[in-house]
Amino acid sequence: MMNYDKLATQLDAVKHDVKQSLGQRDADYIRRVILAQRLCEWSGRILIMLGFIQPLLWVIGVLSLAVAKIIDNMEIGHNVMHGQYDWMNDKHINSRRYEWDIACDGSSWNRVHNYEHHTYTNIIGKDRDFGYGLLRLSNDFRWRVKNLWQFATYIVLSVLFQWGVSYHEMAAERVFFGKKKENRKNTMTHSELKRRFFSKGARQVVKDYVLFPLLAGPLFLWVLAGNLIANLLRNLWTSTIIFCGHFTGDVQTFKQEDCENETQGQWYYRQALGSSNIEGGNLFHVLTGHLSFQIEHHLFPDIPAKRYREIAPKVKAIFKEHNIHYNTGSFARQYASVVKRILRFSLP
Amino acid sequence: MSSILTTLSNAFFHHASWKGYWEPVVQRFVPAWRDGLYRAQVKDVSMLNKNTTALTLAPDKQWPVHIGGQHIGLTLEINGRLITRVFTVASDPLTLKQTGTIRLITRIKHDGLLTPLIPALENEQWVNISAPQGAFTLPRHSKSTVMIAGGSGITPFIAMLKALTIDNANPRAITLYYFAKENEHVLHDELALIAKTLPSFSYHLLTRACHGDAEHYLTQHPNADWLVCGPAPLYRQVVDVAEIANSDVYSEHFGAPPMLTSNTDSDTFELRHNTKVLEVSSEQTLLTQLQAKDIPVNYGCGIGICHQCQCVKKKGIVKDTRTGALSDSAEQLIQLCVSQPMSDLELEI
Repeated sequence: MMNYDKLATQLDAVKHDVKQSLGQRDADYIRRVILAQRLCEWSGRILIMLGFIQPLLWVIGVLSLAVAKIIDNMEIGHNVMHGQYDWMNDKHINSRRYEWDIACDGSSWNRVHNYEHHTYTNIIGKDRDFGYGLLRLSNDFRWRVKNLWQFATYIVLSVLFQWGVSYHEMAAERVFFGKKKENRKNTMTHSELKRRFFSKGARQVVKDYVLFPLLAGPLFLWVLAGNLIANLLRNLWTSTIIFCGHFTGDVQTFKQEDCENETQGQWYYRQALGSSNIEGGNLFHVLTGHLSFQIEHHLFPDIPAKRYREIAPKVKAIFKEHNIHYNTGSFARQYASVVKRILRFSLP
Repeated sequence: MSSILTTLSNAFFHHASWKGYWEPVVQRFVPAWRDGLYRAQVKDVSMLNKNTTALTLAPDKQWPVHIGGQHIGLTLEINGRLITRVFTVASDPLTLKQTGTIRLITRIKHDGLLTPLIPALENEQWVNISAPQGAFTLPRHSKSTVMIAGGSGITPFIAMLKALTIDNANPRAITLYYFAKENEHVLHDELALIAKTLPSFSYHLLTRACHGDAEHYLTQHPNADWLVCGPAPLYRQVVDVAEIANSDVYSEHFGAPPMLTSNTDSDTFELRHNTKVLEVSSEQTLLTQLQAKDIPVNYGCGIGICHQCQCVKKKGIVKDTRTGALSDSAEQLIQLCVSQPMSDLELEI
């Protein structure tokens, strides 16, 4: 029998210790990451335009811009929007103001991801992130013919990931298609959702596919292609990391009735079973926005992500004491497990 | 040009300002460079008595020169957190022109977040200040002026008087009543010097224990302009006497603003914000309650001056804790730190 109260006390203590020690080094760290992001983005955008001198410069530029977008979305955007740095009281680095370099409107993300996904993690019917309404990833869902080719659906989703994320809330709200669901409390009108979706999306499209290509004059197509590839690389990377954090073979799902009147300890337990980690080096962790520590992130979504590294051994020890599986492995292992899961459930 | 950059950074780089987008980069080369604030370098920190420090700062050249009596927000990065408190500039504008420095005189609140750290500031260290604000300045045309200072409330008067020693275009009688605890009056020498240069100026160092309330002194100056700066109880007393004496009161009172409670004692209301519905009480400010509930909010001085906690109220009524005035129920900007809930509210923080 799980001792949920003890689990909660132990994990709360870990969280408390980190929160007490937040300070200058965390503030300096996130500013350093923003600095690196700006350097990557602008050197990338300039190098892409210098491709006519030497095509290799274009290649480096595209990679640099892709890295900039990944850092902006993962280590800065995702984490700042979780409120991890709100204690700094900085008017730009906080969860209310930060808006990221991606098609998805930040406030939509805050509602669907920070609230729904992180509160109701892997509860079937409540957390739409489990399969995104597109993929069948457990037997909780009835098999349909379209699941036969869901691996292809997954590839398309990965390629267009930023648009998937952007459209996510409108899909949930059935803004354009489908029958309205009864368990959703509307906090935004459909017209406001549409306005924000198109406004943010259009600005991203104009920036990468009109504004910067036009600035390049005769190199219009080079820049357009470079930006397209940078966005594609970012999409594939973020999608892959997120799938490895949530849809490996061992990740479990939950029923709504099991989670009613859940205690803090039970909530922690559900987070623990709903996530998986990826092992890797320093740069790898930064580029995943420390979502390679998905377990720690789901237990403590508002602790500055860089700190997940130092608390991981403590969390692992606590899990061991309670006999909870600490789901971690190399990138290759975790990704293989994801692919297997998508394929397995494409069949009845 | 700057409006084009703002539009571009808004639309394509998702930052409220171009400066904000580049801030962490520029900070590498220019310490404490911050969007929306000015920089100032610490030139001297000294103790005037065991509870009061004088901080001399050299503001950036771009800083708009203040008028004697105005205040500024001082922002320090304290272990990664940006903390702001408001202080009156206790020096005159001409000194700024001559020496490039301004002076802040602050009383150290030992349980405070910011003031206990001022004595530990190092020379040449960079801090941030806001533009000068406030309309608490010497009335231009006045025959007779009475200044009533309580504790560190002496600071704006020093700035006003020093300015007069240099340019006294409208000579007038000025009397200063300076209340403080025994042995805690600061800047005697400067007051003595001012009195020498300004024959029409006289001052009295008073303690409530020995000399009683301000009322006795004030009634000697009917029909004058009364300027008061000090804690809220002193201010209220002066206002009461002024009504009887038919005098105009100009005031600046810092410190915790008086907390007004509603007639119906304690009420709880619903506060909607994003997807959340919270319960708030009418007994505390919105800022205090939101912080207690771990809702992310920006904040600054906590007394309604710096506007960092400003947000949009979509619906509902709040009371301004400084004036007791009720807002209307329509959409408007409010400052969380001086707003007390009076009805159900909807906020966009």
